[in-house]
Amino acid sequence: MTSDGDKWWADVSSGDAGYQYQYSRLATEEMESDPLRGDRAPQFCNPSYQALSDNKLPIPFEPRDQAHGGTCRGPPPPTSASSSKIATAVYHRKGSQNGHPDRLNSLSSDDDMIDITTTGTVSERAMLEEELAAASHITTESDEIPGIGQYEDFHTIDWQRDIARDRMRHRYIIKKKQNSICDLIRGAHDAWSGWVCVLLVGLFTGAVAGVIDIGASWMTDLKYGICPQAFWLNQEQCCWSSNETDFEVGSCSQWLTWPEVFGLSREGSGPYVLSYLLYVLWALLFAALAACLVRMFAPYACGSGIPEIKTILSGFIIRGYLGKWTLIIKSVGIMLSVSAGLNLGKEGPMVHIACCIGNILSYLFPKYGRNEAKKREILSAAAAAGVSVAFGAPIGGVLFSLEEVSYYFPLKTLWRSFFCALVAAFILRSINPFGNEHSVLFYVEYSKDWIFFELVPFIGLGVIGGVIATIFIKANLWWCRYRKVSRLGQYPVSEVLIVSLVTAVIAYPNPYTRMSTSQLIYLLFSQCGVANSDPLCDYNRNFTDVNSAIETAAAGPGVYNALWLLSLALIFKLVGTIFTFGIKVPCGLFIPSLCLGAIVGRFVGIGMEQLAYNYPHIWVFSGECSTGDNCITPGLYAMVGAAAVLGGVTRMTVSLVVIMFELTGGVRYIVPLMAAAMASKWVGDALGRQGIYDAHINLNGYPFLDSKEEFEHTSLAADVMQPKRNEPLSVITQDSMTVDDVAALLKETEHNGFPVVVSRESQYLVGFVLRRDLNLAIANAKRLNEGITGQSLVVFVSPNASGDGGESSMGARRPAPLILKKILDMAPITMTDQTPMETVVDMFRKLGLRQTLVTHNGRLLGVITKKDVLRHIKQMDNEDPNSVLFN
Amino acid sequence: MNALLGVVFLLFAAVPCIQGQYEDARCKCICPNPSVVNATTESNRKHYIGNVPPNKCNCDSVVLAKVGDLIKGKEQEFCPRCECKYESRNTTTIKVVVIIVVWAVSLLVVYMLFLVCLEPLISGRTGKSYQEHVDEDESHQMTTTQQGGVLDRVGHQQDKWKRQVREQRRNIYDRHTMLN
Repeated sequence: MTSDGDKWWADVSSGDAGYQYQYSRLATEEMESDPLRGDRAPQFCNPSYQALSDNKLPIPFEPRDQAHGGTCRGPPPPTSASSSKIATAVYHRKGSQNGHPDRLNSLSSDDDMIDITTTGTVSERAMLEEELAAASHITTESDEIPGIGQYEDFHTIDWQRDIARDRMRHRYIIKKKQNSICDLIRGAHDAWSGWVCVLLVGLFTGAVAGVIDIGASWMTDLKYGICPQAFWLNQEQCCWSSNETDFEVGSCSQWLTWPEVFGLSREGSGPYVLSYLLYVLWALLFAALAACLVRMFAPYACGSGIPEIKTILSGFIIRGYLGKWTLIIKSVGIMLSVSAGLNLGKEGPMVHIACCIGNILSYLFPKYGRNEAKKREILSAAAAAGVSVAFGAPIGGVLFSLEEVSYYFPLKTLWRSFFCALVAAFILRSINPFGNEHSVLFYVEYSKDWIFFELVPFIGLGVIGGVIATIFIKANLWWCRYRKVSRLGQYPVSEVLIVSLVTAVIAYPNPYTRMSTSQLIYLLFSQCGVANSDPLCDYNRNFTDVNSAIETAAAGPGVYNALWLLSLALIFKLVGTIFTFGIKVPCGLFIPSLCLGAIVGRFVGIGMEQLAYNYPHIWVFSGECSTGDNCITPGLYAMVGAAAVLGGVTRMTVSLVVIMFELTGGVRYIVPLMAAAMASKWVGDALGRQGIYDAHINLNGYPFLDSKEEFEHTSLAADVMQPKRNEPLSVITQDSMTVDDVAALLKETEHNGFPVVVSRESQYLVGFVLRRDLNLAIANAKRLNEGITGQSLVVFVSPNASGDGGESSMGARRPAPLILKKILDMAPITMTDQTPMETVVDMFRKLGLRQTLVTHNGRLLGVITKKDVLRHIKQMDNEDPNSVLFN
Repeated sequence: MNALLGVVFLLFAAVPCIQGQYEDARCKCICPNPSVVNATTESNRKHYIGNVPPNKCNCDSVVLAKVGDLIKGKEQEFCPRCECKYESRNTTTIKVVVIIVVWAVSLLVVYMLFLVCLEPLISGRTGKSYQEHVDEDESHQMTTTQQGGVLDRVGHQQDKWKRQVREQRRNIYDRHTMLN
């Protein structure tokens, strides 16, 4: 039969006008079913042919067909006489099926097509198109059941359906464009609304990021003291134009530490204890506020948000996760929790905040707000803007969105993300929150190039980074799992308080942990120039000219002292971050991972530097260090180390390197960063399979079908599908079930959708209807239409055809049938039971399916949902399949 | 914790707002101790801040104006050791942002305290019956057609929101199905 199908295809492609519809339907389906090529929307799907093929005479096109996006790619609407034709239509769509739909039927349907050729003249077609325009006008303006096309909470979206819906809407607007100026403007507004939306997202994201940066730096310094003359200034800003010349960063007479506020002196043991106490109290206050606000107003605001954003972008609905309260509480909460001195960063939450802004603003544009698949394009752009403002790295943000969070990322979205990231970075830069002309605190520039041999320590750093990252991921996951199952999880606020108390008490004595993590990273990244008076830069050197190169020098006692303190800080930060990431306040882990890596990197850097100072002539330095100039930059090692740990934790590569080099403002360090990121990814992948985000997705059991992993088992679709052998399949027949039957079915089963078949005996597939749509449609019909009772037939076919069938078989006593054709998806994706799971998984990933129907010999056999696929993958990997929680 | 916040506000209120020397641009020079020219080995550094136009942000116009007599005759030796940087900021933005943040935090805290302490007393007498959970968008569409005053609508919205938050809390804190 396959060869016959091929022949049929060949006939089609010969281009006879009569075959055009059948061909275009197939082609449309092929194209539309690939979200990655969604832009190439074929415009030749002309429903008028469908009407023709149905009834062989030009009837007005049905408005309801238009309401449902997938209609025109579906098989011809079945009439009672054409039931066998449906089977052939399904059969034709799957060219390789080895079933046996009889040749006679196949031929007869072809004959039908030929008949159409003779009847459907050009003029008729034009007429039909006009009617279509009129009809579709009705559909879009009215006749919509409220809520159709939306999804329930914790459900997977159907990308295919949403994209088709958007395409219908688009086609309608294009068609209307010629009618009037008003419609033309409406069309133009529709065309540019994507760009306007991302522009607004960029503007708001930049502004919110500016507020968070300024607010967090002010509150952080509130732990130490206050600027009485202008309380809104932080320590550095307070001493902005001080006349005093003593160089102790940010201490001046305008800035009062808390002991001074209470009338004590600045130095001494009494004031130290008081500062210590107040530091801890402020930290506790901020942490408690953050935890309480999160618990009270928006529990979804806790955590980093990136695992959930990833899941949402892969087509999952979490209502309220990107809402306005989440936005407000996450913004305020991240300021508070960063100020509390906890081991967390604001970069991850910034992505979540940007996505909230994207979601809220998308409601201004119905094109995006009412279509979940389209909304995800805006969310992808928003995620890019989030990273763009978090690191001042617009390109890095775009790549982050592409590499790490997005699932469906067509070129159009790439450009919009680019624009959105650009706007956001520009706004933040013009707010200038750190007063350093950059949008991050730890922006550094290096003057020295690197030596070829240095690649060895860079790769070594990558290896160390991978190891640290693996330790972190495993330990954090263990702790999170423990929290999930034990009593600890019942005390979220107390946990936050205890963690912040311990963090503050341990952090204060060590100057490197007392300062904010961003400042520590800046210190570790920066070079030891004239302006840097930290003990870390206590070298035995004299600066005679700031413009000449820094000379190499022996490390002084200050450096060794600093290294001791830093190694303590490393342990503290590692352990602290393990326990912090996952507590119920907004918290990200970019900054802590960067910090861990930067400390390690600085160690290695100082080691290399001292090696070069003591043995400047060994061959590895290839003569570069023999001139007496400093040839090794410890700050660069810190940056490479930071990239390595972050790369190991998140398993990013390209975006990470770009983010890091955008931080340094120079492209010549790309190779070291690439080497370290790659080494760290390899080591990380070898030691533990997943990055932290994937691990958390797994831990929470989100239905995320990772497109990075391959499916390499040999199971078939028949092994995975529901129902299993000997169990009945819940189906709805197209025109013989009553409203009560359907209600009973809905009550008895918990499936999220039901296949519609011609009859239970034949099991020939008609389409697929979603539970939610069915519920809504029945409720809506009962409310609006008095004629509908429990005895009414539920009919999924064209009203006139069904009317005939209904009256002839049931008699006229029956109440009016409930016609639900418009909620029926007539183009469900089907596959045969012998399809290898590899292909099925591929289809789920690439097409973004929610479910697929399995057939055997052209008859319906079962359903495979995304959850079934995920459970199957877990089972194959010897994991607990019940850990997949949602639908 | 509220008391502490109150103390902070009192403190802010008591502080006179002096805007005197908070300019929006500065030239900051970091130099060694001026005694370095006399071959002593003091390593501590000094910084000098001047309010000069960007093109005059250098050692000559900022540092020498202040310590010129200390290093007389040795300017050529001292000045190359100074690093000068022109920086700008916007105090108005900072002021507005910080005040907004303080307001936002305090409003949220007050609202939170209201919901925790007073709400149970008030809602005890109205005693609203449990409404079946409906989806956000659906119920939104349905509320558009409702009659009744603004207060009713606000109350309805608030109830809906509270129900959602309760649901979220149950997911996260009780069932641990999310965000762990």
